[in-house]
Amino acid sequence: MQTVLAYLDPGSGSMLLQLLLGGAAAAGIGLKMTWRRVLGFLHLGKKHSDPA
Amino acid sequence: MSAATIEPGSFRDPHSRVVEADGQVLRLLSEQGLRDWNALATSELFRGSVAEGKLVGTEIEAEGGADLPDGLVDGAAAVLRHEVVPFVSYPYEWTFAMLKDATLLQLELLRRALDEDLLLKDSSPYNVQWRGAQPVFIDVGSFEALRKGEPWVGYRQFCMLFLYPLLLQAYKGMPFQPWLRGSLDGIEPQECRELMSFRDLFRSGVLGHVLLHARLERRNADSNRDVKGELRKAGFKKELIVANVKRLERLVGKLEWRPGASEWSDYGPRKHYTDAASEQKDEFVRRVAAERNWGLAWDLGCNDGRFSRIVAEHARTVIAMDADAAVVDGLYRSLRADGDTSILPLYVDVVDPSPALGWRGEERRTLSDRGTPELTLCLALIHHVAISGNVPVRDFLGWLRSLETKLVIEFPTTDDPLVQRLLARKQEGTHPDYERGYFERSLGELFDVASSEELSSGTRILYVAQPKV
Repeated sequence: MQTVLAYLDPGSGSMLLQLLLGGAAAAGIGLKMTWRRVLGFLHLGKKHSDPA
Repeated sequence: MSAATIEPGSFRDPHSRVVEADGQVLRLLSEQGLRDWNALATSELFRGSVAEGKLVGTEIEAEGGADLPDGLVDGAAAVLRHEVVPFVSYPYEWTFAMLKDATLLQLELLRRALDEDLLLKDSSPYNVQWRGAQPVFIDVGSFEALRKGEPWVGYRQFCMLFLYPLLLQAYKGMPFQPWLRGSLDGIEPQECRELMSFRDLFRSGVLGHVLLHARLERRNADSNRDVKGELRKAGFKKELIVANVKRLERLVGKLEWRPGASEWSDYGPRKHYTDAASEQKDEFVRRVAAERNWGLAWDLGCNDGRFSRIVAEHARTVIAMDADAAVVDGLYRSLRADGDTSILPLYVDVVDPSPALGWRGEERRTLSDRGTPELTLCLALIHHVAISGNVPVRDFLGWLRSLETKLVIEFPTTDDPLVQRLLARKQEGTHPDYERGYFERSLGELFDVASSEELSSGTRILYVAQPKV
């Protein structure tokens, strides 16, 4: 899926904050994001699996 | 259709541009903009919010390049026609209660949009205008289809232009208008953070929306991370946006501004008039107002809006302006309670009225560029302008003359207690031009004075005048 760019810069910090403000409801997503970053760091993630 | 001009303030969104043609307000849509419009037009949100007066009335004018305004055919997939709002105003001319109501409207429309898988792609108070004391959202081009897994792109802008101005005024007593006038993009998270004390961190909304926001922004300032993509892949849900919006609605709904005693609210309206003089003044204004039906009228130095209300009986729109934000805020709340749709209260100092601002100095227009009045009230104002504001009497009358407006003006003489109070603060002889004879000669050179009347108090004279041709 292509990331569609908005004409506004949403701000990386502002987007991450929306996750933090989500509290418990967002915890699973936050963990998943962190896990993917860890895998990426260890080069264990699926490469080029996503056309985005 | 004749030639159209592009509204200079609408260039930011490439999918939706506003043009004016023959007094009509049109919106040119790109292919993407047309898809978004179709999604909105078929929604319950659109039907409901237009009927409730919360969203500007909009119809499709032309589709597929037919009958577009001259010179604007290229690149437009469709044209929409909007209901015209009576007078364009800007957030730095609003008071706290007005910005708060505009904020709650923005959040309500966003919440209702999310219910139908739509989103507001930006969060700008410039997208809100007024029918009297009723806020109306004018930018239908802001609605777009929600893309699965994406966060609320306009959240940062919402904080900068809606939330932080309200927080600063509610928690710190800091007027937001000078800041918004000085920075069209609003207040940065870090700027807002700098103004918050340790104690403020315990106030509702500050820890998350200000402190954490500023910290995360600083930490990610130079990052090349594709946060949007990461969030989508990790399964970011619409429900998180909805929960954030609902929390913000609760937070904003509780914010209040308690102004200190201002110059006017200090001694209450009209204590300096006897009842007889007050009724005489009402009658004078009523007589002039009833001469005909007016389109746009201005009430400069409107105070509690007593005369705006008299004129509004005979005018389509009255712009009630005062340099005291507390007084204008009170007037707005009173008009809102009455359900008024013809008097727009604005925080404007005639000695320092809103300038042209933004890109090319055209994005936001001067006050008089947005519509000049047919009738202007200038009651109990000139002594403030001339003595407190140091504007020469003749210069002030010259500015009024440039508006090409019928004028009702009051001149308090130097025997008037209020004038004496203002003069007492100045070195003697500073305002030789503030004198009845000089005022009347200057007025007579620029205007034809139709009639004048001395109030029974003996220190105030009313004049009705027409610009000399």
